[in-house]
Amino acid sequence: MKYWKTTLAAGLMAATSLTAPAFAGGVLRLDEVAVGELDPAKASDYADSILMFNVYDTLVLPVQGGPGHAPHLATSWTNEGNSFTFTLRTDVKFQSGNPMTADDVVYSVERMKALGAGLSYLLGVVENVEAVDATTVRFDLSSSYAPFVASLVRLPIVDKALVEANKGDGEWGEAFLSGNGAGTGAYTVKSHNPQDETVMDKNDGYFLGVADAAPDTVRLRYGLEAATVRTLIAQGEHDISSQWLPPEVMGALAKEGAQLFTESGTGAFYFKMNTTKAPLDDPNCRLALSAAFDYGTAIKMIAINDEVSSGSPASGAIPMGMFGANDASMVQVQDLDAAKAHLAACQYDVADMDIEVSWIAEVPLEERLALLMQSNLTALGVKSHIKKLPWALFTEAVAKPENTPHISQLFVNAVTGDPDTLLYGMYHSSTPGTWQSPEYLSDASVDEYLDAGRNAATAEGRQEAYTMLNARLMEIAPTIYAFDRQSVFAASDRVTAPALTDASQAFGLDGMGFSFRLMQVTE
Amino acid sequence: MKRMIVILLRNPLSLLGLILVLLVLILAVFADFIAPFPDHRGAVIDFVHFNKPPTSRNIFGSDLVGRDLFSRVIYAYRISLILGVVVLAIATPVGTVVGLLAGYLGGKFEFVLMRLTDVFLSIPPLVLAIAMMGVLEPTLLNAMLAVTVMWWPWYARLVYNIARSEREEGYVLAAEVIGASTFHITFREILPNCLPAIITKMTLDMGFVIIIVSSLSFLGLGVQPPTPDLGSMVAEGARYLPDSWWLTVFPGLAILVAVFGFNLIGDALREIFGADQ
Amino acid sequence: MPPVFRLLLNRLGISFIVLVGVSMLIFGIARIIPGDPARIALGPNATVEQIDKLRETLHLNDSIFVQYGYFLSDLSRGDLGVSLYTNRPVTQDIAQFLPATLELVFFAGVMMVGIGLPLGIWSARYRGRWPDHVIRLLSLLGVSAPSFVWAVILMLVFAFYLPIFPIAGRISDSYEIQRFTGFLLIDTLLAGDFSAFSDALSHIILPAFALALSGIGQAARLTRANMVETYDKPYIEMAQAYGFKARRIANKFAFKPSLIPSLTIIGLDFAAMLGNAFLVEAVFAWPGLSRYGVAVILRKDLNAIIGTVLIISATFLIVNLIVDLMIAFLNPRIRYSERGST
Repeated sequence: MKYWKTTLAAGLMAATSLTAPAFAGGVLRLDEVAVGELDPAKASDYADSILMFNVYDTLVLPVQGGPGHAPHLATSWTNEGNSFTFTLRTDVKFQSGNPMTADDVVYSVERMKALGAGLSYLLGVVENVEAVDATTVRFDLSSSYAPFVASLVRLPIVDKALVEANKGDGEWGEAFLSGNGAGTGAYTVKSHNPQDETVMDKNDGYFLGVADAAPDTVRLRYGLEAATVRTLIAQGEHDISSQWLPPEVMGALAKEGAQLFTESGTGAFYFKMNTTKAPLDDPNCRLALSAAFDYGTAIKMIAINDEVSSGSPASGAIPMGMFGANDASMVQVQDLDAAKAHLAACQYDVADMDIEVSWIAEVPLEERLALLMQSNLTALGVKSHIKKLPWALFTEAVAKPENTPHISQLFVNAVTGDPDTLLYGMYHSSTPGTWQSPEYLSDASVDEYLDAGRNAATAEGRQEAYTMLNARLMEIAPTIYAFDRQSVFAASDRVTAPALTDASQAFGLDGMGFSFRLMQVTE
Repeated sequence: MKRMIVILLRNPLSLLGLILVLLVLILAVFADFIAPFPDHRGAVIDFVHFNKPPTSRNIFGSDLVGRDLFSRVIYAYRISLILGVVVLAIATPVGTVVGLLAGYLGGKFEFVLMRLTDVFLSIPPLVLAIAMMGVLEPTLLNAMLAVTVMWWPWYARLVYNIARSEREEGYVLAAEVIGASTFHITFREILPNCLPAIITKMTLDMGFVIIIVSSLSFLGLGVQPPTPDLGSMVAEGARYLPDSWWLTVFPGLAILVAVFGFNLIGDALREIFGADQ
Repeated sequence: MPPVFRLLLNRLGISFIVLVGVSMLIFGIARIIPGDPARIALGPNATVEQIDKLRETLHLNDSIFVQYGYFLSDLSRGDLGVSLYTNRPVTQDIAQFLPATLELVFFAGVMMVGIGLPLGIWSARYRGRWPDHVIRLLSLLGVSAPSFVWAVILMLVFAFYLPIFPIAGRISDSYEIQRFTGFLLIDTLLAGDFSAFSDALSHIILPAFALALSGIGQAARLTRANMVETYDKPYIEMAQAYGFKARRIANKFAFKPSLIPSLTIIGLDFAAMLGNAFLVEAVFAWPGLSRYGVAVILRKDLNAIIGTVLIISATFLIVNLIVDLMIAFLNPRIRYSERGST
């Protein structure tokens, strides 16, 4: 979910000079921010996810272009109360040649829970996992949890026998898995340096087969500078950029004929307000800031060209396309009169306010959004100052409410595509103090709706709970919902990636569109 | 003094240096009157004019949120000069005192102080400042502090070398014989002989401080936005090469002009003092 | 004991004291960093128990003196700890990134000497005439901008507008070179792959030149100044009176005595380049230690910060030691002196 990691991070780039020989067929070159974490139990960022989705497989996959999940390593599943039973495919082999069995699934769950890193919290509800027989696995949950199947897209299955054989000192083979692949995936790891480059080759033994047109070799490079990527793509020496390339640079590439790939519908960009710190502990002040923000200019700032933008206007607290989202008629707009009215109702004196607006150092676009926020605050007569925070320090600062800035800027998306994974960690009073909840919100009705959304038995029930939640959040305004996020990637014209260009093939899950087996490269 | 100015004015290179430094000084001091858009030094957004190449309205072009780059460069000069003056105003006296005492007193004092400066001098200058800024909050004040800490040993070394050679000179020995105090000998007798070297170094260092400070902010460890700073402007603009070249080229040239000016004068001073001695 | 050995021992002793001082300084700086390194290392989703466990493992709950003791005992075993940022031993990270930085800095050093000294000699030989003025002006320009400005300008001109050189990296990824020394210019030659060598060469020229520019200017200015001084010495006037060729006088009589002070400055400039590599590597995406250094500093990765600064300082001390020895060999007064230099 946080994909920003510094572009200053050491990262090998290997550009091709004009004198270099032409590439052999079928190489795909893309870049991401460093570091690339290969251990699937520690994966959380975008680069990690790309690695995970290609080297490993999961029991289920999101249905392309639609809601719900389809079997992948599993053939089917049944659900009785808080217990889920999966039947596995029998024809799947790991890249090592070992067959994939129920034992591997159990091992993968246990390993992930034991390491407690990355997105392992998604499996927190799993109380017990058991191999009923070689092809049957049963998960027992500690409580009802509607998005359970959705969270399985974050459970990569690792090769137990291979890891055990190479585990070395560590109990869970961390050293081995941080440098080697041990999955069933369509691509094998040829070499991996977390700050520099991962090279992957097509796995000819993949259980679903891989099309000939899919790339033979993939080079995922880390930490390239924007100007480098821009030039390499223009010179035909790079294929897909990361989504953090500034909009102007993407625009310049698009003008020269580059394609723009997109992924949308899973997250948004937020100005999160610390609800424990004066003056933002008064909802009227928060509403004033929400009304004062210039949503229209923000959209212009992130536009790449007339057709594509890194975001679309937000209609409320839940991104459009998810359960409980408001419709487009409720799009947020700036209203300075309303802002002044709210401010007048606020218990604090405007003259005493000095709002700290932070931005994540690794995402330069946020500096511009901070400046926009600052000029909007000035229009209200509110004083403010801007603070740049590297990601690592930001996550540390938000551990305590008193260290958390008044306003934190964040891109957040639902790691499983389900609204529960987007909103529960953000707003439930039981989960404050993480990087996604710098609001420190504690509101009984919000908690109630979040629990209802998590536990409801039917889709309608969940829909209703999230609609109520949305309304409540707009009422107490813990967050300024600046825009719904769309990830955009600039790509050369030799790549075809239906999952990133055709809405009917999109997975609705960040990073999944980068399943290389579904891409094609031409010479 | 008068003779010095005459010499400076007569040499075309030092004249050029004087003109450049005066230009930079005037721009910095009278920024409020010269800058076409004085408010653009802060958080201002102008979406009609964002990311535009140089025009008659914005002679250096405009930045990514539409601010006038020329105005920002002028205000950045102001910050750079303040930083330079403050750093030298602290580092020079500290280094001079340490160098004088170590050079004149010698002995254990000399060994300890000079090993201390060795420690500082054997961490490459920028690396020490970077490491310090890693610890401190990146603010104007802390940038000054970090650069000052790395700067004083150079003055200590310079003064130490002179003081050590002077302490055997006749006039020092004479002062010792008549029972002058250590204070008198170091500050009244030896120090004046170090002054030409110190002044020359300070002029040259004005340029180096500007370089180091801009390097720190280039790495994101210096002055924070929206305060304009030449180094961070270059760093920010470098992402947008080659399309938006003006974002890097003008702030980069601005650094070059200022440092070049100080170096030209420093060079001339060195020749004048060199000839005097 | 031969005086040169005594000098060497003396220098080594001082270097050791200095390194211990550096380690204390950096250790002190790194430990007063605000923020909990354990929490930062474990990332946003870590639990309190995990953080406490890591704090225990890292001895973060002990006093700073105890921590320094642990650090020294680990260091004596060649262990700099694990980087919390890459999850790998710091020594392994440094071993991976240091060669790229050293290759860049050494290449820049070669440029500095290979271009700066001849320019200085030339300038002195034609002192007061137009080649002298041009060279002096250019070399002053060279020292008047930080290396990142030169890097950006060179990149803009010679990689974007005139795409002669590649814009980033050390070598094209189509070459697979076995790493023996980590210096690609050497490894490609060892492998006998000349097209890879020229590829690596084309990658290093721009960043190395950007890094070397101020050193070139410095070396040229200094060499000129020293030679001009030597030119006024009687024995040069005598050589001129005897009718030796101007070029021979410049290279043989005037240059040699000027070399010693130039060498001292070259040693110092090498240090500056180790620091400036931070800037140039950022512009050219050069996969060196400096980029790693900035990344770990931004992440407050204590072990990696200490390791990086220690290694850079040690490199600097070693280079200065070599420079000192070279001076000792060149200068008969030091070579035969009983006292050595301090």
